[in-house]
Amino acid sequence: MKTLGWSVLSLLVAPIVCAQAPRNTATPAQQKISWAEGSIKARPDHSQPYNDLAVAYVQRVRETADTGYYDQAETVLQKSFEITPDNLEGQKARLMILLGRGEFGQALGLAKALNKKTPDDVLLYGFIADAAIGLGDYGDAEEAAQWMLDMRPGNVPALLRGAALRRLYGDARGAKDFFAQAYQQMAPTQTEERAWTLTQMADLQRSIGDLAGAEKLLHSALQQFPGYYAALEESARVQTMRQRYSEAVDLLHQRSLKLPTAASRYALAQALERSGQTTEARLAYADFAATARPLISASDNANEELISYYLDREHNPAEALRIAQLEITRRHDVNTLDAYAWALFGNERYEEAQKQIAISLAVGVREARMFYHAGVIAAKLHDDRSAARYLNQSLELDRSSESAAAVREALQNLAPESAAIARGDK
Amino acid sequence: MIQKILFPLFLIACLTGPPPLRAQQNATDHLVRNVQAGVKRYPEDYAGYAALGAAYLQKGRETADAADYELAKSALEKSLDRLSNDPAAAFAMTQMAVVCMVEHRFDDALSWAQRALALGSGDPSPWAIAGDALADMGDYNGASEAYSRLESSYGSEDEKLAFSYQRDSRMSFLRFVAGDTQGAIQFMSSAVRTAIETHMPAENIAWSQYQLGEELFLAGETNAAEKAYLASLDECPNYYRALAGLAKVRASQNRYADAVKLYKEAIARVPYPEYAASLGDVYFKLGQLADAKKQFDLVEFIGYLSQVNQQIHNRDLALFYADHDLKLRESLSLARKELEVRRDIYTWDVLAWSLFKNDKLQEASEAIAHALQQGTNDPQLFFHAGMIYEKTGDSAKARSYLQRALDINPHFHILYSSTASKTLARLAQKEIVVSQQAASSVH
Repeated sequence: MKTLGWSVLSLLVAPIVCAQAPRNTATPAQQKISWAEGSIKARPDHSQPYNDLAVAYVQRVRETADTGYYDQAETVLQKSFEITPDNLEGQKARLMILLGRGEFGQALGLAKALNKKTPDDVLLYGFIADAAIGLGDYGDAEEAAQWMLDMRPGNVPALLRGAALRRLYGDARGAKDFFAQAYQQMAPTQTEERAWTLTQMADLQRSIGDLAGAEKLLHSALQQFPGYYAALEESARVQTMRQRYSEAVDLLHQRSLKLPTAASRYALAQALERSGQTTEARLAYADFAATARPLISASDNANEELISYYLDREHNPAEALRIAQLEITRRHDVNTLDAYAWALFGNERYEEAQKQIAISLAVGVREARMFYHAGVIAAKLHDDRSAARYLNQSLELDRSSESAAAVREALQNLAPESAAIARGDK
Repeated sequence: MIQKILFPLFLIACLTGPPPLRAQQNATDHLVRNVQAGVKRYPEDYAGYAALGAAYLQKGRETADAADYELAKSALEKSLDRLSNDPAAAFAMTQMAVVCMVEHRFDDALSWAQRALALGSGDPSPWAIAGDALADMGDYNGASEAYSRLESSYGSEDEKLAFSYQRDSRMSFLRFVAGDTQGAIQFMSSAVRTAIETHMPAENIAWSQYQLGEELFLAGETNAAEKAYLASLDECPNYYRALAGLAKVRASQNRYADAVKLYKEAIARVPYPEYAASLGDVYFKLGQLADAKKQFDLVEFIGYLSQVNQQIHNRDLALFYADHDLKLRESLSLARKELEVRRDIYTWDVLAWSLFKNDKLQEASEAIAHALQQGTNDPQLFFHAGMIYEKTGDSAKARSYLQRALDINPHFHILYSSTASKTLARLAQKEIVVSQQAASSVH
């Protein structure tokens, strides 16, 4: 696969001067909605305009984080299926809804069945990849993404999925290349998609400690799609890593003006706590718990945040583990495995914790937080050499990560011989 | 002028396949029949309908028959009914954008091209149509930006060269509009070389050579233009665009009989109203007024033949009426209607000319300022500007523009070159009288 120089990023964050910038204030999804509504008026007896409208509603969810649009999409799809039962494009729109709601198992089943009937449809492979990534079946996801690239070299949906997989495999540079290739193909009018891609790239940069690079990308993302909630959330993470907690609070307050999610409420509560606003933090945590708990059994939940909440804030490891166990029965992606391992660790079940974190790290993922977890789990099992190695990897990856202080403290608690390894005195 | 009016169609032809000839038409009929058979066998195959749409589009270019465009649209709708949310649907969407361009629905063409791009198919072709639509809407910077995206990191060397051909041929037009005629000629020469080196279909090479001829003619390099048109006809004998181009050269060389013959041959192949108008002008020059009238009637007949023709030929008819002092109010109404959807310099020019002919001089001078704002070195724009400024009493500007028109090409138009010379002479005479009056009043 062609590799682009990293310098291409500087082009990506350059201001948009293209005259193709949107001519009106409607977002891409809103334009698509209006287009599809026009088509429905013109051709009410065709199923495709209804499918187009459903897809536009799904895109609107990503623009706004308002999952209510999924319901509207479903209603519209019913019309489509009344006209042409089980039509492929309608089924694909249904798949997008399932994936958006985190129904990965059901989505994978449907995507595979449709793929069997229509093996030349590129996007169906993309949906298989999405569902497999959600479930943690990375081999299947990789195979599907490779099919996409082989069928239509350089297509954007494949590049974006390839980037996600490369990142999971610990290939940050390769992920950047794919993101950059995808971004370069996007038209300036695709403001949300460009902003989303820039946000993903910023997240990647932050994960390797390049906070300045991440900030530039986020600045560009917010220029292209002002007020974009995903970019605001990511910006708050960057500010947290810079230990500018009140800036993070401001950003998250700004983000919360429109449709806050359980996850964004948790981020706000954490930021308030870090900035010393104890009372506000307490209220925000309560607000988060009230929002997240009813979702525990839902597929689109905030269980990862709840696990962290019960471990770190409520000191209720039993509840954290109960939730983690529920979640691990649904999916075994690297984040769920890490959260499960951390919940087991909180319940002093160190050997089981080590087993889970090992499975997660075996994928190749390189996240400072996970190396930290692996390090302290190993330390509890008196495997100081492994502990030192993991903790060292966490710091090497990102010296300013949220876990960095805890990593340093854990390193100091190791035996002198292992600490020497950590310092590099091999 | 033909170059400007038909340019978008040429570009589309260049994007989606070779332009037509009789042999080509037979091949296209064969292609249509084959694809129809495929669609009949696999009625749920989106790709079959997309191919059928593309085949009808090709046929439409060859026959200039609006019915073919309707068939293309219907087939493409069927393709998109079967697949629209997939990178593979980008082809049908791009073709749909082409249909909109042909019908002069530039905004819709841009939307379809953008929808195709949003699918992220990895194929940059929709940028070409996006650029074409933007250029027709007068957004030349946007068009330039879009054309600059016409490159691909994927595919074979020939495929990459094909994109460079598409880019060069389009950038050539933009350079011309920007007033860099020599730059335009260089880009087009490069496109011709690429077309030959990559063994493009003969019609593609012929189109490129013809287009180079158009630019050379506009630059006043008549001999070089003649060579380019002849090369185009060598590549594709009876290629109607090259026939019309060569006819124009012959008329400028006062070889009117040859010009008549060539125009007739071009019209016999594809009856574009511009060709009929030019042939009428040659007859007029020869004093054969009855023959001229026949051709002028034909222009209107073609222009109003169908709904689509009316959309397509608004500007051509407006110019034709204004040029020939016919139906001047209708000319103005058509030009204004065209400006609603098309705000490029040539629509401003036609509006200015039509306003001038309707004695709306203030508005005419505002409109011609829009037409001139890109700095385009086009004798016809300068001629219109000169005539408008003469009537508004700005003799200095009038002289300057008329002189520039004649400096670029003393034979830029079969009728108007002499009008420009006469007006210049009149202005000079007027200046002498004024200076004599001034001198006598001093005495």
